[in-house]
Amino acid sequence: MNTRNKILTAISILALSLFVFYADRHFDIYVVRILNVCAIYTILGLSMNLVNGFTGLFSLGHAGFMAVGAYTTALLTMPVDVKQQIFYMEPLIKPLNAMVLPFPAALFLGGVLAALTGYLIGAPALRLKGDYLAIATLGFGEIIRVIFTNTQNITNGALGLKGIPAITNLWWSFGTAAFTLLVLASIVNSSFGKAMKAIREDEIAAESMGIDLFKHKILSFITGAFFAGIGGGLLANLLGTIDPKMFNFIFTFNILLIIVLGGMGSFTGTIISAFIITIANEVLRFLDESINLGFIVFQGKVGLRAVVFSALLMVVVLFYRNGLMGTNEFSWDRVLDKNFWLKPWLKLRRIPLRKGGNGK
Amino acid sequence: MTLNLFLQHLSNGISLGSLYALIAIGYTMVYGILRLINFAHGDIFMMATYFAFFGVIIFAIPWYISFPLVLILTALLGILVEASAYRPLRDAPKISILISAIGVSFLLENLATVLFGGVPKPFPTPEIFTSMVKIGTVSIQKLTFYIPVITIVFLFSLFYLIYRTKTGMAMRAVSRDHETAKVMGINVNLIISLTFGIGSALAAVGGLMWGMKFPQIAPLMGIIPGLKCFIAAVIGGIGNIYGAVIGGFILGIGEIMIVAFLPDLTGYRDAFAFILLIVILLYKPTGIMGEKIAEKV
Amino acid sequence: MNPSNLHSISDQITMPEQEALLTAAKITMRFGGLTAVRDFNLALHKGEIVALIGPNGAGKTTVFNMITGVYKPSEGKIYFMNQDITGVRPDLITKSGIARTFQNIRLFKGLSVLDNVLIANHLHLESGFIQATMKLPGYRKEEKAFREKSLALLERVDLIGSCNDKAGALPYGMQRKLEIARALATNPKILLLDEPAAGMNPREANDLTSFIYQIKAEFDLTILMIEHHMDLVMDISERIYVLDYGITIACGTPSQIQNNQKVIEAYLGVDN
Ligand SMILES: Nc1ncnc2c1ncn2[C@@H]1O[C@H](COP(=O)(O)OP(=O)(O)OP(=O)(O)O)[C@@H](O)[C@H]1O
Ligand SMILES: [Mg+2]
Repeated sequence: MNTRNKILTAISILALSLFVFYADRHFDIYVVRILNVCAIYTILGLSMNLVNGFTGLFSLGHAGFMAVGAYTTALLTMPVDVKQQIFYMEPLIKPLNAMVLPFPAALFLGGVLAALTGYLIGAPALRLKGDYLAIATLGFGEIIRVIFTNTQNITNGALGLKGIPAITNLWWSFGTAAFTLLVLASIVNSSFGKAMKAIREDEIAAESMGIDLFKHKILSFITGAFFAGIGGGLLANLLGTIDPKMFNFIFTFNILLIIVLGGMGSFTGTIISAFIITIANEVLRFLDESINLGFIVFQGKVGLRAVVFSALLMVVVLFYRNGLMGTNEFSWDRVLDKNFWLKPWLKLRRIPLRKGGNGK
Repeated sequence: MTLNLFLQHLSNGISLGSLYALIAIGYTMVYGILRLINFAHGDIFMMATYFAFFGVIIFAIPWYISFPLVLILTALLGILVEASAYRPLRDAPKISILISAIGVSFLLENLATVLFGGVPKPFPTPEIFTSMVKIGTVSIQKLTFYIPVITIVFLFSLFYLIYRTKTGMAMRAVSRDHETAKVMGINVNLIISLTFGIGSALAAVGGLMWGMKFPQIAPLMGIIPGLKCFIAAVIGGIGNIYGAVIGGFILGIGEIMIVAFLPDLTGYRDAFAFILLIVILLYKPTGIMGEKIAEKV
Repeated sequence: MNPSNLHSISDQITMPEQEALLTAAKITMRFGGLTAVRDFNLALHKGEIVALIGPNGAGKTTVFNMITGVYKPSEGKIYFMNQDITGVRPDLITKSGIARTFQNIRLFKGLSVLDNVLIANHLHLESGFIQATMKLPGYRKEEKAFREKSLALLERVDLIGSCNDKAGALPYGMQRKLEIARALATNPKILLLDEPAAGMNPREANDLTSFIYQIKAEFDLTILMIEHHMDLVMDISERIYVLDYGITIACGTPSQIQNNQKVIEAYLGVDN
């Protein structure tokens, strides 16, 4: 990175921090909550993109990893008396019932347990390819959910957990999102990340170039699971209540929609699309309800919003397969290049682009 | 456990297995011809039950006219799904086609929620199926016997179509190799449409009998049977029709027996199929009847 | 080993095993009912250029796939430097020193030319995953070395000008060269080339001949090559194996092969 880009990056980080600082104090609760969800979905999207977009493994078990992280973090941060109160069907098992950890430690452990689950699932499942891998990971995700529904003395079964302390704030969510991006971008740009991309491009060629397929797939899988667990933990301590139903396949579908819309293999795209989808989800809430706009009463219907999102996914896959960003990433050089902004306009006017303007 | 009780469980298992088999065939046929998991198959099955609901209850068409109409409508729906969501992506990367399949599935579920409401509706079971018969000391619903019989009739018609007719030969040729089939003058797209039509119609047969057996229909009712029948197809060896039938019966009977013999594990009933799937995928990924294909390099 | 006696021996199969760098002993590959390769024997000595020829579908690529671990032979054994490598995973075989190119070019099409070569260095990386993610100095040093080596390699094969282009966007001939460069980046002892001159005109094929000679000397290679351009094969190879319907019908020096009745029949399609 040259000096100009370093300065620009520093300025952007500072600006983002100032924004979080301001938003944390002055925005209303509803907006803050949406921003938190945006950041958490960013984390979930980034982690799923590492596996699906960068390594080319079609994995559909993401909700399961989130559940592991969410339950771990929640159980480790809930006050002892709350635990006693909600576990009335069967008491919580031994060390957990009296254990309360600081949030960062609980969050980290949530990630670690999710990563461990990722290893246990990945070790057998990653021997499969393509749609078989998809269905096996989906199956494992469902098994996790069934287990969580049936282990009354650990997860409180179908009743779920209530009264989880609301620790997640904008600093936590945006800070973790930034950290996730930093780590995942570092992986993707490293020699290991290149090996993962090679596997995505052509497994047979990658293996013939000396890349240990299983090792790199499982590294990607475990890393993805770790950050999914962290995202789940943040979510649990944002919402305050969780239950096994929440982590069904529809949750995975939402994250999938984010990475497909943003572009499989582009972190920049994931971030943009996590914000778009989360905000759209709020803005389109009226579709599910009836609202009175004064001059007209809109008769909403439950499920209409979900129809819009499923249709959106179909449109993206059918007509804009590369999503918003394809496999491109944000870079100052691109954004500051005149042609980057002029190109669409010039194309419209059919003016040929002058050569040599691309900084090459 | 008495013999009577065991026989009752067995007949239950067989009728559940028949339903699984009918739906599993749709997965296996589509997989055989497109190498694609048709995620929307379970939702096509769900739509069939709603078609029946509308035909019999809303439009008051007698069941013996409504039900055949349901088969036709469902077949058309399957053909429509293929033409709009899969055909445009024929040459796209596999992952795009899978995402499209998941998209269609969600779209159908959500559309059904909006159009028909999320509240479960009763299924209009014709009376001749609900009456009971007494065998010795146990009384069993007639339906339990009809289901395997109807299944067998449809299975034999399918086998006849696939192994004894020109159309069936064309279907088998396309599932081997699209290019070669094209060269031989087969209209590949037409055959693919036909495959989706037949697979969906069989799902409709399954759906109608499912509706009679568990007489409540809901927009999300197709998800779990859909996944399970896909699993049945994999167990039998995906792409192989006999395999799908065998897999369907193994899964159906296995599930009922687990609940019967190990009641403690009832909560894990839905996980049973997935565990079976994973075991099969790991130890014999080609399933019971499937053949191994090494990727050409 | 004494190179001077190499040419005097026509049938290398009878040579003692320990002298060969790579040996295949009666390897057979069956796909269902089809026997693609039957009882194939090979002895490849250090510094040789050997060609594998035969009509379409003869089983040549299948031999490569067995040597590189992509297929596990149904029968027979393969030894590399006196180690049994039969059925060993492809990545481990590449690590031990056998690299290949593919008949139907398998580049990482969506990645840059430079990345394609960098990826082939990855197997030499000693830093672990965590070290690489944290960009610790040890990793940085290795990464820098890979980069320099890759750039030098691209310079050598005249692809340095397009090192930031996507590999899939290169013209066909350059893609073939890039595939060779990528294979070289794994530091192989043996290079297997599957139809490197496919789709080239005689002049390009000629250029390729001298290119193969040069890299063989520069990188101290032993080369096994599948090729259909007969001029190239006769010109370059010291020995030739001929396959037909999976069976080795001849093996010897170019002049012996040119005059072999069975080979002529196989190529002209005469029934025997
Ligand atoms: N994975 C596989 N599954 C089934 N058959 C295969 C497989 N790989 C190769 N074959 C068959 O084995 C035979 C030999 O194929 P191979 O690719 O080795 O031929 P080749 O000599 O390289 O021919 P070409 O000159 O056309 O490249 C062919 O009949 C081919 O169809
Ligand atoms: Mg070949």
